[in-house]
Amino acid sequence: MKIRRFGATLAVAASGALLFSACTSPADDDASSTDAASSSTETAADGPCKADLGDVTTKDDTVSYSVGEDEFLGYNSYTPETYSTYNSVVTDRMLEGFVYFGTDGTICQNDSFGSYEVVSEDPLKVKYTIADDAVWSDGTQITNADFFLDWAAQAITKDDGTPLFNHVAGTTYGEYVPDGPQGDAEGKSFELDYAKVYADWEILVSAPFPAHVVADQIGVSVADLVKAIQDKDMDVLTKAAEFWNTGWLSPTPGELPDAALIPSSGPYKFKQDGWSAGQSITLEANDKYYGQQAATKNLTFRFTAADAQVQALQNGDLNVIEPQATVDTLAQLNALGDSVTVLTGDSLTWEHLDFNFNNGDFADSLPLREAFALCVPRADIVEKLIKPINPDAEVMNAREVFPFQDTYTEVTDASYDGRYDTVDLDAAKAKVEESGVATPIKVRIGYSAPNPRRADEVALIKSSCDQAGFEVEDTGSAEFFDKDLPNGDYEVALFAWAGSGQVASGANIYKTDAPQNYGGFSNADVDAAWDTLSSTVDPAVHLEQQKVIEKLLWDNLYGIPVFAHPGVSAYDSTLSNVRRTATQSTISWNADQWVRAE
Amino acid sequence: MHVLRFISRRIGISFLVLLGASLLMYVLTINAGDPLADLRESNSENKQNLMDQRTEIMGLNDPWYVRYWNWLFGVSKCFALQCDFGTTRNGVSVNSLLPQAAASTMRLVVLATLIAIVVGVAIGILTAIRQYSGFDYVTTFLAFLFFSLPVFWAAVLLKEYGAIRFNDWIADPLLSPGAMILWGLGLGLILQAIVGGGRKRRLYTLGITWVFVTGALFYFEAVDWFRQPALGVGVVVIAAAGAAVLVTALVTGLDNRRVLYAALTTVVVGGVSYLALMPVLDEPNWWILFGLLVLAMALSNLVGWLWGGYDKRRAMFVSSITGFIMSLLVAGDQMLSHWASFLDLKPRPISTIGSETPNFPGGFWEDVLDKGTQLILPTILLALVSIAGHSRYTRSSMLEVMGQDYVRTARAKGLSERAVITKHAFRNALIPITTIVAFDFAALIGGAVITEQVFGWKGMGAMFKQGLQQVDPPPVMAFFLVTGVAAILMNLVADIAYAYLDPRIRR
Repeated sequence: MKIRRFGATLAVAASGALLFSACTSPADDDASSTDAASSSTETAADGPCKADLGDVTTKDDTVSYSVGEDEFLGYNSYTPETYSTYNSVVTDRMLEGFVYFGTDGTICQNDSFGSYEVVSEDPLKVKYTIADDAVWSDGTQITNADFFLDWAAQAITKDDGTPLFNHVAGTTYGEYVPDGPQGDAEGKSFELDYAKVYADWEILVSAPFPAHVVADQIGVSVADLVKAIQDKDMDVLTKAAEFWNTGWLSPTPGELPDAALIPSSGPYKFKQDGWSAGQSITLEANDKYYGQQAATKNLTFRFTAADAQVQALQNGDLNVIEPQATVDTLAQLNALGDSVTVLTGDSLTWEHLDFNFNNGDFADSLPLREAFALCVPRADIVEKLIKPINPDAEVMNAREVFPFQDTYTEVTDASYDGRYDTVDLDAAKAKVEESGVATPIKVRIGYSAPNPRRADEVALIKSSCDQAGFEVEDTGSAEFFDKDLPNGDYEVALFAWAGSGQVASGANIYKTDAPQNYGGFSNADVDAAWDTLSSTVDPAVHLEQQKVIEKLLWDNLYGIPVFAHPGVSAYDSTLSNVRRTATQSTISWNADQWVRAE
Repeated sequence: MHVLRFISRRIGISFLVLLGASLLMYVLTINAGDPLADLRESNSENKQNLMDQRTEIMGLNDPWYVRYWNWLFGVSKCFALQCDFGTTRNGVSVNSLLPQAAASTMRLVVLATLIAIVVGVAIGILTAIRQYSGFDYVTTFLAFLFFSLPVFWAAVLLKEYGAIRFNDWIADPLLSPGAMILWGLGLGLILQAIVGGGRKRRLYTLGITWVFVTGALFYFEAVDWFRQPALGVGVVVIAAAGAAVLVTALVTGLDNRRVLYAALTTVVVGGVSYLALMPVLDEPNWWILFGLLVLAMALSNLVGWLWGGYDKRRAMFVSSITGFIMSLLVAGDQMLSHWASFLDLKPRPISTIGSETPNFPGGFWEDVLDKGTQLILPTILLALVSIAGHSRYTRSSMLEVMGQDYVRTARAKGLSERAVITKHAFRNALIPITTIVAFDFAALIGGAVITEQVFGWKGMGAMFKQGLQQVDPPPVMAFFLVTGVAAILMNLVADIAYAYLDPRIRR
């Protein structure tokens, strides 16, 4: 059970459930994923999941953090209006589910919330058990009802087939689990019966919202609400959806809904009067929390532009920052000395060069693609552009796994022999000759401009590949994704995918005619391997098929992976337990463990 | 009647201009980029769903004229006092966003503009009176320097020295004897340049200032004044008495004893009231303070009226100005005396970001100090640029007036230099400046975009910027309406002020 890919530069994760699904709460040392496949044997501090801090007493103190200047939008992060990293960074501290993402994208099980196990692999049946002591901050038990509502929000449609709830995930959940959770309305255990096997079942169930609040607002009992969901009673459900769609939003910045409507299931809850419009929002420790208590009482999110964050950290206005990863920012941070700790590392976003198979010289000529791969100075690009920010950066040789993940070496050993590690201009010239295409061969490299780093990458590629018979042209433009890419006005596309945490989402990119297969690549063996991968929940099969897919993609050169994007975080050195994560959850993924040393 | 017709015609024309401009602005905004740009690179399973949902929310499938009409219809409800400025694509109501943003910007801009006007005009007059002196050259140089200052860069420097290093220093405020002497020397040099006069007078000014400032710094250092400052009633009364003499000297001249006594009596009354009101002032609220200010003004006017005799009008004017200055000094003294408890709550008093400290626990004065210290850096930045402009305009306007025949005539008939400058030259020099000041104020509301961003204020600029980046018209249009209306109103105010200052226009 490891990671996977993309999404793209945007901080949107794959299925709505994804990254915005709960996080948080102490995980056991070895908790990482359910079944046998779990590869995590790491100890607490080294593992990708949250460390076990033992018995934590909440310290009466405040830690300030900023993701950016964007205002907080509302309790419900799943509506199209509020769906963004800036919002979920706050709500993730308050809404928990069965899983969260560890620092390298590992799916970590949230033991204090509950547990789950696969009852049957095919047909897929999963049994979920909510912890007995799991309660909302208003004292109400977290029960199956909350998961019934969660399912309804992603399954119920109106008569015309459009979704009833404004959920960003659409009705994917309802398609995989058409009958909904099976269990007592107010019990603590339910089962999901999948209509078809879903490789990413572990992250389908997201952090639930409080069903008792919805029931109360529309004037029915919780049992009646669940019954309405089971019977598809549209009168009740329409009212429930209306509240779900609007009742948890904050159209006036600074004003939260009534405190009774927005209980927390996580280590933090909204602080009374803690939201100052345009300035900051403060959360305070949830004293009813059933897991490991928050280490620091108040957590303040300030809305601060990225370019003001370094000085704010220096002045103590912010204690933890995640500014733009540039050489300048890093130099400023390093100049601050010991009072600030700087963390650099990879993120789950990776840069790649993709060929255009719909038209152009590369489409039908494997030798020409190989020639290009031989002349692209990948090591040089990483050395000159990435290492100054992340000294541990390396050239990335895979698409489905990242260099910092456990299975990376195994996958690359089986799929890639190192033939494109160094630039070989003679071999490239020979391949160009073999292809029979007349030189100089025009190569338009398209990307979304302005992007200085990508412009530099193209310049480095040009200086190398022009010697091998290519004529590289920088066609970066602001309209790249809007116009150039769909129209096929490029030979090579340079962009990044952001890791989604899903195993099977790569099928959208590499299968024939898949929605994200912009270049029009088509290979029957690759399609078959994806089908095999998607139709099982067995991690061993997933790994085996990944090797097959990677090898086929290298041999046929779908494209060339280059590097994982670097990230920079920094924090006031008096804080402990601040840990970087490669995922889009941002460094605040374990904010409930941050604490200032005496 | 004439004036009313003039005003209503102006408003009518402005309204049509505004309507046309809003159409242009709307079309430009919705064509400023791709509202789905952030979703296009996504490979989420729900990408199409996200794009459809946003298209629905923003009405992207409607033609531009339908979208514009929908917006215009909502705004036109303003005539029924039910404005609907729409919602942003994040579901935030612009109706509630606008007042918040406007309040934030006003807090930032009003103080900076007032400071810029007062200081800029004062410097302009001083440089005009001392044309081609060293003071004039230095000011000219600085004015050009500040005028061409890149705001974002200056902000970084201000934060480094005004916030970070100041906070480091205030933790343990030490001044070396050398630094104290240099501060005294520097201030002395500046003051002698402003005061001017012969060599002997300059030397006296320099020497006295030097000794006084250095001495004061030694004293401050000794009593840890920087962490526990206070003025006390004595210093407040002395400073207010100084102000009373200065105001009298400027307005009527010290020969007019009735006015001078009125101003000084106001100071005495103020000092006594301060002593009596001490307990109330320790933990007031804004209403109490406002009430006390009204009371102070009433008392000052009464004192002026009683002393005034044949010159009641000017006596009341001078003593009410003195009363106002006295009130400010009292409030300032209260703020200073709460500085120590403020430092306990916030050991690093000046933040580099934000308009307030989140969840600040202090009482009234601590809260005022918290919000006030947050204003200092952005206000300095905004004011510096405006001061530079205002001082240049005032200087040239003043110089032009000083060369006029009637000024020579005024001198020839034996008027004092004070009367020539304040009554004849200054008032006429103000006429062109009014227009500039009015325009400047309208421009400042929209012009604080960069300042807001670097200092983490969410004002009009931030609203405009985010709307434009997201290709989301409602916030951009709300910004446009407010700045547009402000420009029109300020223009009108400038015209009316013109008429007040220049009787020829009234006819």
